[in-house]
Parts: sequence; structure tokens; C-alpha cells
Amino acid sequence: MSTVLEQIEQQIAKLSNKAVKKNTGTIHAIADGVAKLDGLSDVMFNEMVQFPGGAIGIALNLEEDEVGCVILGDVSQLKEGDEVQTTGRLLSVPVGKALLGRVVDALGRPVDGKGPIDAQEFYPVEKIAPGIIVRKSVSLPLFTGIMAIDSMIPIGRGQRELIIGDRGTGKTTVVIDTIINQAKINRIGLASGDPKFRPVYSIYVAVGQKNSNIVRTIAALEAAGALEFTTVVAAPAADNPANQYIAPYAGAAMGEWFMENGMDALIVYDDLSKHAMAYRQISLVLKRPSGREAYPGDVFYLHSRLLERAARLDGKGSLTALPIVETLAGDVSAYIPTNIISITDGQIFLETDLFNQGIRPAVNVGLSVSRVGSAAQLKATKQVGGKLKGELAQFRELAAFAQFGSDLDAKTKAQLDRGSRIVELFKQPQLNPLPIELQVAVLWAMQKNYFDPIDVKKIVDAANKLKTFFTTRKEALLVKIRTKAALDAEIEAELKTACDEWKATANG
Amino acid sequence: MATHQKQAQQFARRLFKLSLVDGRVSPELVAGVLEYVEKHRPANPAMVLKAYRRLIANELAKSRALVEHAGSLGDPVLRSIAAAMTQKYRRPIAAVARPNPALIAGLRVRVGDDLYESSVAGQLAILAASV
Repeated sequence: MSTVLEQIEQQIAKLSNKAVKKNTGTIHAIADGVAKLDGLSDVMFNEMVQFPGGAIGIALNLEEDEVGCVILGDVSQLKEGDEVQTTGRLLSVPVGKALLGRVVDALGRPVDGKGPIDAQEFYPVEKIAPGIIVRKSVSLPLFTGIMAIDSMIPIGRGQRELIIGDRGTGKTTVVIDTIINQAKINRIGLASGDPKFRPVYSIYVAVGQKNSNIVRTIAALEAAGALEFTTVVAAPAADNPANQYIAPYAGAAMGEWFMENGMDALIVYDDLSKHAMAYRQISLVLKRPSGREAYPGDVFYLHSRLLERAARLDGKGSLTALPIVETLAGDVSAYIPTNIISITDGQIFLETDLFNQGIRPAVNVGLSVSRVGSAAQLKATKQVGGKLKGELAQFRELAAFAQFGSDLDAKTKAQLDRGSRIVELFKQPQLNPLPIELQVAVLWAMQKNYFDPIDVKKIVDAANKLKTFFTTRKEALLVKIRTKAALDAEIEAELKTACDEWKATANG
Repeated sequence: MATHQKQAQQFARRLFKLSLVDGRVSPELVAGVLEYVEKHRPANPAMVLKAYRRLIANELAKSRALVEHAGSLGDPVLRSIAAAMTQKYRRPIAAVARPNPALIAGLRVRVGDDLYESSVAGQLAILAASV
């Protein structure tokens, strides 16, 4: 017994003799969530700094005789003269599947009231993007479930596709539909037991948004059964700018875990305009020199280092990024939009005029582009939608010309008629993503002129009926399209039979 | 305001550099600097002197080991701490004792902005943070 006691006493003696070295500093000034600190001579750039009361900060400005530090957390109890300590650690967040179905803050702490998160691993928030050697080109599709996008502006896994538009044009709706579609595909794929199936997990990062909007988004995801495959990182408008600044990087770290562990993930940054504003606020308080529109000089690097982290890795997984940018009065040539357009692999431009005309999703086909996604597009979609973008672009030009009211030749009239039918066909209600096989079937019907006899105003109804017809009565054919992913003579014959049957039913 | 502050800091930094001999603060030079500032008042003298004080205080703290202790602390211990710190930082460091019953037991040594924690209170704080 005495041996045991001696062992414990020796352990205590060892502990009490062990001196721990800490590098300390004092708060010299504090304002707007930013503290100026004296001391901290050993602090590293981006290192976590421990404040009294549990708040932590990140050292962002290392100057000759002071350190500028943004504080994440409650600053109300901090005052001049308080002692701070370095931690020797970079800011890290929990990662892994335990975060799925959860709503967390910028530091990965749960804010949904569902209890603690049992995360086994932590990833640093700031990480260098994968290099050239480890990357692989985009070749696997990521379906949004939105017919206009999947057929004309396809997105691939590992791509960065910008969603850009004015306020109230449906940008968030596009990404929510995409997340819901991933959940639907995951459910079908996992149920099928196919060993080659690769589920896509989603991360939705809300930056500077109203809490009510975030709640609405979470409710929509939950109602669609998509929350169980999704992590929501919330840094609402009420959060301090430091949290809003760090949230996208925290989300990226969570996404990288899936990518590096051989899985596919989708990350949505909603939105990077507000992220840039939060960073501008921090930079101005830190007294960094300001440039165009008062943004600091490194605002391009702010977003390039974030978006470069989305990639497809050779032998591992992928991280697809859908950043959102809000424009003012449709001005895509503003500072932040042009920066992000140049970083991403394409953009989906949503237009107020189209939205107000009832064309939803309000995708402007002329200004939208996907630079790498076509390599990932299914052969079946290419077969039925290859010419659609050109046809629609021609339609828009001709429609503008036709407004002058001059007499039009038969060919032009036919082009206008077809264009207006395609526009109607692409109208899609929100939170209702379509499976790719159904999109292929509907577009095949359009290509083969099955919608031509129908009045333009009734196209939406007719398309809905055709979709219902296929899902209820031709499920086997849809499964065949999904598995073969290309239209051969056999499938085309079956599609023809089905469409003829539908036409007879509809007319009957 | 920001420009004034920056200018005052820059001036204070110049005064600070003038107060050093072989990298150490010289009391004579500090007295000379204060006399100069008194005679030739710069813009925002209070701001300049506050920044100057901060720089001098930080520099002085680097040459002093402040030893906080709970319980008694003999001169030999203090001398050994001073010797160890002088060797570690490669500059003459004087040890100053300051009783602090809040530590419960053990020592806490501060040299500049480095803190060596070997007190029971410090270990309890680490334990509390890890729980």
C-alpha cells in the first residue's frame, strides 16, 4: 500500500516542480472586437491568443512593439491591462461525420441545442490549398437538380462555381436546392448498396445573414430530409466581424476532412460579399492601409486562398465550392464580384428582370458559364441539351430584335417560338430539385418536338404532367437512364413509346 | 487622431533608441531625454511620453526577474533564479521577490513577457481549463 502512495507522491512532486513557460502580454487598447496588445514577443501570425474569461483571439497584426488581435467571443468583460497568453496553437475546429446534421458557430461549437459534438479530430482553420501534383481534373458531375443549370451550366465535383446576382434573385434557393438534391441522391445511392456510389456531404456557411433567414434555411433543409447530410456553420449579422471573417475558413476545414478521407463534399459560402465587408471592418480597425472601396490590399488573397482549397484530389475525394456574391443593381464589374469571378471556374448569373418576369430560377444564360463542368456532364445530358445554350442565346437576341415590331420571317418566328418554349420548360419551383434522369427525359421530349403543339402558356403544366407520368408509370425507364447515363437506340425507342403514350393520354 | 498617435509612437520610438547604451536602458540618458522633451515640447507631449514610458517599462522588465512566491523564499533561491535567468537570456537579470499568497504554494517568475509558472494556483488553473 505504501508503494502505491509513494508512487502518487512522486507524481505529485514531479508535477509541482514542473515549470510551465508561457508568453504573456497585456491589453493596451480594445475596440470593436479588436485588441492592441503589449508583449507577446513570441506570438506567431494567426496564432490563438487566450484572453481572460475564456475568450480567444487571433493575432493578425505583428508590429514592432504591439500585436493586433481580433477577438472571437464576448469582449464585454475585457479591459485595458488584462493579461493575455499565447497558446502555441493555430485556430482549429472540430471535423468529421459527427458534425453532420448539426448547426455550429464559426469555432465549431454547437448552437442548435442538440448537445455536445463528439468530434474525434480537429483541423486548422487556415490551411495551404492542395498543390498541383495532388490534384486531378474535374470529371465527376455534381447535380444541382435545377434543369437550367444541369443541362447548360453543369458543375463537376471539385469545381468552384460562383452564384451571383442582386438581392432577392434566388441565389440561396439555388444552393439549397443543390444541397437537397445531394441528400436525395445520397439516399437513393446508399439504399442501392452500390459500392462505387460516392455520397456528397454538404456544408452551408452563413456569413452576415439575418438569424431569421438562417432559421428558414435550416427548416427547409430539415423538412426536405437534407440536414442529416449537412453541417450548417452560422456566423449571423449579430456575430462580431471576427467570427464572420473566420466562418468560411472553418467551413472549408470541415469540408477538407471529407475530401482528404476519400469522400466528396459540397461547400456553400453564403455570401462572400458580406465576408469581404467583415474583413474590411477588421482591417480598418487594425489600421491597415485601405485601397479600392476601402477594402484592404489583400482582399483578393482573402478569397483566393479560401476558394483554392476546393479541389478534386488524386486518389482521395473532392470539395466543390459554391460561393455566393451579391451585386448592387446588377453590377458584376464591382470590385469583389470581379475578384471572385476571376478566381472561380465559372458563374451562374441570376437576373432581377428575369426573376420579375416569373422566370425562376432567373438564370441569365448569356452571362453564365461553367469552365470545367462540361467535362463532367453525363453523356445523356449532352445528347439532349448540347445545343440548348446556343438556342436560348439566339432566342434572347431575336426576342430583343422582335420588340421593334417589324415583320418576321417564318424561320425567325419558329426560333422565337421554340425559345419561349424552352424558357417555359426551365421554370422550376423552389425546393423541388429534379433527378437527372427525369431532366433527360423531359429535355428529350423537348428535343423531339413533343411540346410544339402545346400552347406556350401551358408548357409548365404539360411538363409537370410529363414528369408525373414518367415518375409514376415509367420508373424502370428512368432507372435505366440513370444507370446507363447515355441514350442508346433502345432507351430512345422506349422514350419515344413513353412520350407517345403520354401525348395520347394528355390529348385524350 | 490616428495620424497623431502614429507620429507620437514614432517619436517615442526614436527617444527610446536614444536612451539605450549597449542595448540596455541608461538612467542618465533617460533623464537627458526627459529634459530635452521638457525644453522642446513635441506635438502631443503626453501621448509621446506615455508611449516612451511603455517602451522603457517593457525594456526594464526584460532585465528583471519578478519572482512571486507563496510562503518563504530564501536569498539563495533568489540568487539561483537570477543566475539561471541570466544564463538563459544571456544578459544580466536581477531577481526581485514579491510575496503573493494567492499562488497557494510554489513560484511564478516573470521576465519581460515570459512567464514561468510553477505554482499550485497555476496548475489548478490549467486543470480547470482542461475540464
